Amino acid sequence: MLDALKDIVRKSSIHVCLVNSGGCNGCDIEVVALLSPRYDLEQYGIYVHNNPREADVILVTGAVTEQWKENLRRIYTKAPEPKVVVALGNCPISGDVFNQEGSSVNAPVSDFIPVDAELSGCPPRPSEILEAILAVAPGAIAAKGRQKK
Amino acid sequence: MILPLGPIHPGLKEPLRLKLKTQGEKVISAEIDYGYVHRGIERIMEGKTWQKAIYLAERVCGICSYIHTQTFAETFEKISGEQAPLRAQYLRVLTNELDRIQSHLLANSTFFKAIEHETLFMYMLALREPVMDAIELLTGNRVNMGWNVVGGVRMDAKDIHLQQIMEIMIKLEAGYDRYVEMYEQGPLVGLRSKKVGRMSKEDAIKGRAVGPIGRGSGLKHDLREDHHTYRDHLDFKVIWRKEGDNFARNMNRFDEIPQSISLIKQVIENIPKGDTRNKVEIGKGYGEWRNEAPRGEVTYMIETNGNLINNVSIRTPSIMNIDSCARYMLNDVATVSDAIATYASVDPCIACAERVIVANEKGEEKHYQGIFDIK
Repeated sequence: MLDALKDIVRKSSIHVCLVNSGGCNGCDIEVVALLSPRYDLEQYGIYVHNNPREADVILVTGAVTEQWKENLRRIYTKAPEPKVVVALGNCPISGDVFNQEGSSVNAPVSDFIPVDAELSGCPPRPSEILEAILAVAPGAIAAKGRQKK
Repeated sequence: MILPLGPIHPGLKEPLRLKLKTQGEKVISAEIDYGYVHRGIERIMEGKTWQKAIYLAERVCGICSYIHTQTFAETFEKISGEQAPLRAQYLRVLTNELDRIQSHLLANSTFFKAIEHETLFMYMLALREPVMDAIELLTGNRVNMGWNVVGGVRMDAKDIHLQQIMEIMIKLEAGYDRYVEMYEQGPLVGLRSKKVGRMSKEDAIKGRAVGPIGRGSGLKHDLREDHHTYRDHLDFKVIWRKEGDNFARNMNRFDEIPQSISLIKQVIENIPKGDTRNKVEIGKGYGEWRNEAPRGEVTYMIETNGNLINNVSIRTPSIMNIDSCARYMLNDVATVSDAIATYASVDPCIACAERVIVANEKGEEKHYQGIFDIK
């Protein structure tokens, strides 16, 4: 009974923290575009506030630069359970164009924190980002929440 | 007390650490820590052909990605001594101005978010989406367009698309004054923006402020005046203001948008027929080219041996603007929330700004620096 109630509540209020771990910020502005009235992220119960301490979903963009190697893990541990990590764009998956000789990036993100879902694109379209969050987050958050018991 | 903000913070879009020295609620001074997005782009570009390097240039910054490829291509055109065909130059102006409109609208929306004016924030983002559609119509992508090549642009634009862009611009212009009036005459917006975060003209010169930030403080400087396409074929005038506060910087951006719309209309009405791409033989040499990005002046310095890039150095506007914000604007700001609003008003783009890394001989002890730290 309580679990079922928690599932419903968690599905309809997803708090998102956006972490740019060293990309070109193209993905970040597509997330900002999601807030616009055309896509209207908040009608799906998703709220972007960039605060890891109360996040359900951590959106990671960027290819993990030197300074993020330790800090990414720290941000991940600060988010309360249950949490879902979505890697957004090509950078956190493969390093994109930056993953070449002489660069200071350490892709992929999954070397540092566990990643639940990946979305490729440079950058992905806002509708794709929305679809990815909605496809992964509610189910995964509910499942992880039950696991903990 | 030192109040650290960031790198992940509700008020900031991009990772950066802002250390505010506060006394009570008052902010006395500010310091900035860089280095969260340093990817080493210039180093990767070395030893590559331009065909490979231009993709890296595009990904220096996501918001003004267009101007980086244009400047990169024009640097190579300067080295080779050949210009792009006139139709390609017009198409470059068209894309550049579309990119400028969306960037300015995004910058202003960020400021309205920082002063908690959600209504204008939503209006700005709603205005921006049709412009993104226009960019997509023309180039096929919303953010990283891949539109420029050395010697011209990648493909020709269809007349029907140009007409559709014209319609989008007419629609944007029709409803635009209402939002400017909301900003200009809104009493609450005025309280949060007028006489907050002031920077005098002398300080702007000392801090090397460029773009709308410099122009908001009375520096009459816009590189589009000197650019050959704008100078020879288009009607263009520099917009600037004297006040030097948050209000002036945002108002300057608001005022530049109708001018960009007018430039787009001029381009669509007068665009000549012809090729869009020249075959360019790149010789050996060194070239330097400057362009006006939405945030100010972008400089590319490239040394090539004919085929491969030997050395490249990129100077982006954000680093000067963020540093002059920390040094001159965040002095004696009344509240912390005003300090965040001031920081948002300089339109910081951290991905642009991360250009310098200083390491000792063994490669240990790395520092990431702003311009005032370099000795």
